[in-house]
Order: sequence, then C-alpha cells, then structure tokens
Amino acid sequence: MTMLMSEPATLPDANAPASVLEGDLVRRARHGDLRAYDELVKRYQERIYATIYHMTSNHEDANDLAQESFIKAYSALKSFKGGSSFYTWLYRIAVNKTINFLKQRKNKHHLSLDDLDFNAEHDPDLVALVSDKTPQRDAGLSELQKKLNEALLKLSEPHRMVVVLHDVQGVSHDEIAEIAGCNIGTVRSRLFYARQQLQGFLAEYIKS
Amino acid sequence: MNESNKNFDELKRLLKLKRHEVPPPGYFQNFSGEVIGRIRAGEAGGSQSFMDRLNGQAPWLVSLLHIFETKPGVIGGFATSLCLVLLIGVVLADRPDSMPTSVLATPEATPEATPALASGVPAVTDNSGIAVSTNPVISLQPVATLFGQQQNPLFQSASFAPVGQ
Repeated sequence: MTMLMSEPATLPDANAPASVLEGDLVRRARHGDLRAYDELVKRYQERIYATIYHMTSNHEDANDLAQESFIKAYSALKSFKGGSSFYTWLYRIAVNKTINFLKQRKNKHHLSLDDLDFNAEHDPDLVALVSDKTPQRDAGLSELQKKLNEALLKLSEPHRMVVVLHDVQGVSHDEIAEIAGCNIGTVRSRLFYARQQLQGFLAEYIKS
Repeated sequence: MNESNKNFDELKRLLKLKRHEVPPPGYFQNFSGEVIGRIRAGEAGGSQSFMDRLNGQAPWLVSLLHIFETKPGVIGGFATSLCLVLLIGVVLADRPDSMPTSVLATPEATPEATPALASGVPAVTDNSGIAVSTNPVISLQPVATLFGQQQNPLFQSASFAPVGQ
C-alpha cells in the first residue's frame, strides 16, 4: 500500500519517549555522529520534502532545497539551543530557505509535479469533485492537480506557506506560528485570506 | 459566515489532492544517503581544504581575503584605489612632453652631468629654483619662448650668435 506523502503532521511531544530519543540523536549528531544524523534525516525527510514541494510545485527544486536544508541544519546544529523541538527548528530552516528561493525566482514558475498515487482515484471527496465534470476520472484528477498547483503559486509566499502547512500538512496554528516566527492571530488571518484567494481561483471546481 | 465555512470545507477537500502527490518510487530510499554524502564531501574536501592549502602557501592572501570577507567596505576602497592608480598611470603615459620636461627641468641637469656641452655655456638657475640649461637641444625647445625670456639677460648670454656681431 502506498503511503501518503503528506499525512497530517503533528510535532513531537516534548515529553514523549520518541522525543527523548530525538534529543539523543541530536546530541550525537552535534558531536559529529553522522549515523545519528542519518536517522534524523530519515525521520523527517518526507515531511520536509513535502512542505517544500507544495510550496514550489517543482520536484527538482524541492529535492535540492530539501537536501540543502538538511545540510544547513547539520552545519548549524551547534547553534541549536533546544528552545524548540528539533523538528520545529528544522522546519523553520526549510521554510525560510524555500521562501528565499521563491523570492529570488520571483514569478518564473515552472511546474514539475509529482504523480498522484493510486489512492487518489478512490478518495470519495476527490471523486465527487471530478466525476460530474469529466467522464474520464484520471484526466480529471490530473487537470485538477495542475489547476490547484497553479492557484497555490498565485498566493504570496507567506500565505502559501500557511495554507500548505495547515490545510495540506495538518500542522496546528501554534506550531505554524512558532515556525514562521509570528503570532497566532497573524497565522489565522493569513490562513483566512489565503483560503479566500484560493476559493476565487478555484471557483469552477469548488462550486461543483 | 456559514456559507464561507462551507466553501472552505469544499476547498479543504480539494486541497486533499495535494496529499496524494508522491515523488518517484524509491526516492526517499536514497535521499538520506545523498544528504550524508554531501555532508561528508563538504567535510573532507571542498573549499575548506583549498583554504587550508592556501593558508599554508600564502597566509597573507588568506588574511587579505578574510578582511575582504568581513569588511565589504575595504574591498570597495581597495578596488577604487587600484582604479585611481591605473587612471593616473594612463594619464601620465598619454602626455607626450611629460618625460622630457620632467627630466630636463630637474636640478640634476648640471654641468657636471653634461660636461662636453656645458664647457662654454654654463647652466643657470633662476630665483624660482628652475634650472635653465643652455644645452643647445633645450634651446630648440619651445620652453624657452613660453616664459618670454627674449629679454632675459641670462638667455642672451646663451645665444649662439657669433661674438662681436
């Protein structure tokens, strides 16, 4: 069975045993233990890649940025004070790197979309969205995927980040505020505005 | 508000499609290996070892590069100075009379320096400190007429007209 790339993410609880193990891995990696860091990379690679991919809509860019984020995190591990969880800290590096990259790229968007997994065809919500419009379900989903990514790219980077983290990744408002370095009110208002914008861009599909 | 929430629910359902986008099969199996490989490559080689080698061969250059890196203003000043030196060099090189005038107007153009020519017509220094040579080559230069020395007795003694005429 194919695992979904962007399952709703919740940040590790600081008191959970897994988090203790994470702290141990971070400590060892900080002292140059690459095996420990390899374990950390494996633990978070899917979520970091997914976040960057949903921000860029480009697999190659997401691959480069995800790798660079992990490399930068490793080189900056000594500056990691443990004030937040390693995951939040890593997320912040990845998001900032991605936003900087997108600002440099400006509006030169080039879609390089990942394929949809097998489960997409059987998701009742998605099936309902396309079944009335197109007789061929696959073509409908692919078209919908393209329109959705194009609509996301029309959002500003901070708004896109909030909607990707919350509505796609399932990260909570508090955690997004910590990652973005802003307060929860800002996160909520950005999310509301981003949804309104998306609603307008995708009105044709939402009304169905 | 309810209408808006309802629409957002539909939007959220649509956004679920993003969760079904997956990278090529096997992508994550190699991912961490590539990251660790790049970290190892950065530690073993790359720019750091190049700087180490450079530090062994030319430590002053490393210090200079370090100053340039930490103080961007210095590199700007250094570049401006280089441009000024270059500009001054070009301007001086383009002046055709700069070389002869500077050489011949110096106090070193003394009779001792040119004994054969100075035997009958000694060089004279005026009150302004400018050496006026009686070298026949100089007498052909326009420099003599620039200062209106036609009435200057010093230049009259340097005339080549035959004595008694």
